[in-house]
Amino acid sequence: MIEGFAGFVAWLGASVVVLSDGRRGLALGAALSTLALAAIVFSGAGPVAGIALGVGGLTAAARRLTVGVAGWGIMPPGSTPRFILCVGGGLLALWIALGVTSGHSSALRFAVITVAGLAGARVLSSGESSVLLTSVALLALATAAASGLTEEALAIWPYVGAAAIAAGVGWLPQSAPRAA
Amino acid sequence: MSDGYHRAHRVLPEAAELLVLAAAALLFALGFAPAAASRRNLLVQGGTGMVATAAIAVVPTFDLALLTIVGLGVMQAGIPGKRTLAVRLRAPVLAVAVLAFALVFLRVEGPAVLERFAAVGLVAGLAAAVGLFPYIHPFAADEPVAASPIVWIAFVGPVLAAVVLSRAEGLLSVDAGQALAAMLIGLGVINMAWGSIASWLTDDTAAAWRYSFLADWGLVLCGFGLTLSDGRRAALLVLFGIVVGRLPLYLVSREPRAERVTSEGPINLVVAAALAGSAPFVGFAARVLLLRGATQLFWPLALVLALGMLLWLPGSLRLGRSLGRPRGRQAFGVALAVAVNVAAGLYPLPLLAAAKL
Repeated sequence: MIEGFAGFVAWLGASVVVLSDGRRGLALGAALSTLALAAIVFSGAGPVAGIALGVGGLTAAARRLTVGVAGWGIMPPGSTPRFILCVGGGLLALWIALGVTSGHSSALRFAVITVAGLAGARVLSSGESSVLLTSVALLALATAAASGLTEEALAIWPYVGAAAIAAGVGWLPQSAPRAA
Repeated sequence: MSDGYHRAHRVLPEAAELLVLAAAALLFALGFAPAAASRRNLLVQGGTGMVATAAIAVVPTFDLALLTIVGLGVMQAGIPGKRTLAVRLRAPVLAVAVLAFALVFLRVEGPAVLERFAAVGLVAGLAAAVGLFPYIHPFAADEPVAASPIVWIAFVGPVLAAVVLSRAEGLLSVDAGQALAAMLIGLGVINMAWGSIASWLTDDTAAAWRYSFLADWGLVLCGFGLTLSDGRRAALLVLFGIVVGRLPLYLVSREPRAERVTSEGPINLVVAAALAGSAPFVGFAARVLLLRGATQLFWPLALVLALGMLLWLPGSLRLGRSLGRPRGRQAFGVALAVAVNVAAGLYPLPLLAAAKL
């Protein structure tokens, strides 16, 4: 039950990132997705992995609160295609996670597919650096969470690596394009 | 399902060899980069890229390799350049997203068709990461090399391809593996044609060099797709030619000259021959192996590949002429690259043995 709710929150957070242009909206979306992924990973891969993922993602969200376009910017005019993407992507991920695939954690499958898919789509559709870097952080967290789908003994390194990338990506120098 | 990495914690021999070659290319770049370029920046940026590329090869899980690609993509996007952050981030992020989906499909239980989707994801992700058709990275001719797509197609890409495709063998079933091989060959033929024709016909010489890398990658994909030892050997030799031949010559061609003249001297013809894969250069040995493998597998494929290989000629002549009349340090760099390619072409066995092929 808790995992199912966490899967929904992961989708909600990724959708807020897709629908937001302002730094508060992006930080909220990143924090929601991070907490949900951390909760799912916590139950599957153990507390250290969950805490590592949570710390990395929340650091990224905190950094996002301080850098980027001011305000919430949730669902600005012209965001209907993005809204359709969130709903359609969520339904498709739900169908794949529950109807097509099977295994020990449907919530993890749903969360990974929906967060990686929506974060990847957001990177392809935006030119704003704060949006791009938030999406990259979420993609890293989702990629690490996918390591929980393997049947082999889980190592901590993917979670730590993803946390480091998520936490560090917000500090990327923002250089303007220039001639060589 | 195991992701293949856990079966063998050691570094793949092919990847290790390509890492050494990439290090040699970095040293070449430090020695023969345009005089105006900052050696310190090149060393820091190239060294970081080298470490990240090595990490792709040595990390114990596929997930960590994907995270390394994300990290490398973000770091490269932070280097000042002509393209925007969004343009530079898109390709690695798309690659990782697609490869992550492939990994999910390989790990979950479900219908057999999921493995075929995973095979599509592996090929598409590899093409997106390296910058092959249909995911050709946007290119700015006068961008610094460290910030340009050349890093992916000629420096990181060879190791990445060796790692992803060799691990894919352990991940996929026979049926999905055959689908993967067919996709590699199909994409390889398209890249051969697209790259060689574009290299011949495009207006910009720097873009022509970039397209020539694409054409070589077509051969690499075909080699990996043949699933025979000859194919894998051919792929390794073409990758050798990319890292130790085409990349150094491209770097030399970027040397700013007072007058941008083309020349048709003997050195230009020799360079053109090396780029076209004629004897006695390493490209020729690779092509012979590729044609032999294709003949064993399905002889009409060998015919298509042989016809496709002819397309290298006009583009290579153009690129050879673009070097002008190399002098001094530039001439030494060209001679070094040509000599290494001749040596590997005449006696490629040590290269193949080092990669255990």
